[in-house]
Amino acid sequence: MGSRRNNLLILGLVALMLAATVYVIFIRQPVQQATRLGLDLKGGVAVQLKGYHTNGQPVTRDEMQQAVEVIQRRINSLGVTEPEVQIQGQDQVSVQIPGLTNERQAIRVIGKTAQLGFYPVRDFAARQSVPKDQVKKVESALEKKLKGSSAYKKGKTKILFEEDPSLSGSGIDVTGYVVPDQPAITGKALKPNGAKVDFDQANKRVVTLQLTSDGGKKMSQLTQKMLTRSQMSGKPPLLAIVLDNDVISAPQVQSVLAQNIQISNDSLPQGLPESEAKQLQVVLNAGALPVNMKVLSVEQVGPTLGADSLRSGLTAALAGFALVLVFLVFIYRVLGLIADLALLIYAFLLWGIVVAVPITMTLPGIAGIVLSVGVAADANIVIFERIKEEVRRGKSSRTAIQLGYDRGFRAILDGNITTLITAFILFALSTAQVKGFAFMLAVGVVLSMFTAVMVTRALLGLLAGRRVRLTPPMMGVSKKSVQENRTAVGAK
Amino acid sequence: MFERTVQRIDFVGRWKVWFAISGILLLAGLVSIGLGRLNLGIDFEGGAKFTVSGVDRHLSTGEVRGQVLPNYAAKGAVIQPTGRNGYQIQTPVLSQKQIQRVEQNLKHGLGGEVSVTSVSPTFGGQVQTQALQAVGAAFLIIVLFISFRFEFAFALAAMLALVHDLLMTIGFYAIVGREVSLITVVAVLTILGYSLYDTIIIFDRIRENTPAVGYNRRRFDQTINTSIRQVIRRSIYTSLSTVIPVAALLIFGESTLSDFAFALLVGIISGTYSSIFIASPILSLYKAWRGGKLGRAAPASSSS
Repeated sequence: MGSRRNNLLILGLVALMLAATVYVIFIRQPVQQATRLGLDLKGGVAVQLKGYHTNGQPVTRDEMQQAVEVIQRRINSLGVTEPEVQIQGQDQVSVQIPGLTNERQAIRVIGKTAQLGFYPVRDFAARQSVPKDQVKKVESALEKKLKGSSAYKKGKTKILFEEDPSLSGSGIDVTGYVVPDQPAITGKALKPNGAKVDFDQANKRVVTLQLTSDGGKKMSQLTQKMLTRSQMSGKPPLLAIVLDNDVISAPQVQSVLAQNIQISNDSLPQGLPESEAKQLQVVLNAGALPVNMKVLSVEQVGPTLGADSLRSGLTAALAGFALVLVFLVFIYRVLGLIADLALLIYAFLLWGIVVAVPITMTLPGIAGIVLSVGVAADANIVIFERIKEEVRRGKSSRTAIQLGYDRGFRAILDGNITTLITAFILFALSTAQVKGFAFMLAVGVVLSMFTAVMVTRALLGLLAGRRVRLTPPMMGVSKKSVQENRTAVGAK
Repeated sequence: MFERTVQRIDFVGRWKVWFAISGILLLAGLVSIGLGRLNLGIDFEGGAKFTVSGVDRHLSTGEVRGQVLPNYAAKGAVIQPTGRNGYQIQTPVLSQKQIQRVEQNLKHGLGGEVSVTSVSPTFGGQVQTQALQAVGAAFLIIVLFISFRFEFAFALAAMLALVHDLLMTIGFYAIVGREVSLITVVAVLTILGYSLYDTIIIFDRIRENTPAVGYNRRRFDQTINTSIRQVIRRSIYTSLSTVIPVAALLIFGESTLSDFAFALLVGIISGTYSSIFIASPILSLYKAWRGGKLGRAAPASSSS
């Protein structure tokens, strides 16, 4: 068995690692903040989105990267802490916002592609004070009507809707517009940070847009054309301001517009509702997503449920851990105590890794840890059974321990490699939940090889080296079975 | 006493008995699956799940369906009370607006806190494909690994034992009617790893005990029996040391963790059983078949 010096070296290393762990967990920051909790334990919103192009073109990695940056900016402007935005696979984004409890707001802000467009209106039809649950029905009726209009040309124009709360206070005003398929001016014309919440002369809330000089030029050309056209046709020149295929506002163009545009809602006494105005500003300023986003899955966990999960997960982990410790001592006596010590070191170092990396702790992560405790205990069981076997054959405790480690190690290595293979394959499954589990399992397996094989060996080596006599009963082997085995071997 | 019992069992020779036991259980599971009892959750099929915790008003599931849920959600909803003051409600795919509505209704109708998970059907399909791919990849890599470290016969035996454990776990899920979720897939893959670990420990011993030259069926079968007798104690202890924390998860963990623990529990027990009673006899049978085919072994003497 490795020399005394080697054993001391290993234990010294363990002491250093333990010290580092104590520093990371307890000293560097308050303990309560040490471990990062996932939103299934803390409460929050997780959204899985898929990027796509309406024309069916594949989404590039670059576009996803840009999309992630835009989403990041938008979430930051919501004023939440520690959001996590990650690309998954080729065209998916996973967004995790711990602490946020309104998934609707999150989806609205994140998923908006913020494709701003200005369209000259060709024709329109309106219905006032529609009850909320009939909006869809009314819209399809309006669509039918507008498709009959002379302004509608399939493929060249499209129909968009505007929904506003009625001035009368009850119901929704719905207006359908026939507009060209492509916007005359796109969001690119908007100056960076060019959107602002403001108030007009009547003290109504509006959002003002500042266009680039090029955008301003285009805008004046467009409105000039619209005014001329309207004089000829007699129809009012409406300019639809469209965000993601929703008409936000379609003001009548009174004179040639230039670099400054206003989005307003004249039907409400205060103008745009505050939340809507703010959101419009956020989305417009944070820029457009380069791709469209489809919501794949949404998970919203309340803080109470999160706390409950954390408590039950921890209880399960601790109870399981304690029982395993008792179990090992029950079977292996002194050897079990040493394995217990190694398991405790294992658990503490694992916590240290979780904090240092840092790994966001989730429910599946806890499950991974609990399972890895079983695997860590097993490495000792394999070796200890070997040791007991040798002791039964009448070998001295020193020789038995050495043989036990030498012979048990190969099986443990093969076994753990297969576990690592499964962990890596699980990691390749792109779901965040699964990743957490796989990562914890892999980290646990590697760490357990260290604590359950090297550390216990060093501890046992020191024990046996100091001439402490480990009798068979101290290792959970009855005297009787030693003798039986001896006679059995002798008889052969 | 344990030692004596183990000494008396002929693990390899009585393979028909072990296979029959597994066969009956597997058949029961497959019949349940055939009857459509396998309950695929929203992770695979898409849909919405509402978890209500800390409710003020206790209603029966019928009352929740009739009075609280909007019509479109009530129709296909599965409503389960969870714990003392919670409900879990699962519905088919709903739009974001509909989800909002259901959430509001639940909040007002029951009080407490509502958590929502919704999965679109496309995503569910994708998860399903990925899960199958992962299982497939795991099988392939593991066969290669065992063939490399041992020999193909061992890989084949281990693989059939894995299939056994996989079907056993899924079958049990169908029999009990528990919901299969993404977490179940994780559990199943973990079981694959675990079952294999157990099998490898036994195979390692067989490899160690097998003489380097010549194959003789009787001697090989004896070697397998001896090897199992040598490591069976370890198998049982290891299973216990893993089952203990898993049982703790089953008892103390809330729904997600307890689902996970349930799959693991079935898988671990099945994995321990299959390593001893399925993988090892298959190894013997395959070797005997190969030996007979190659005609270089002595006439196989029947061992049972």
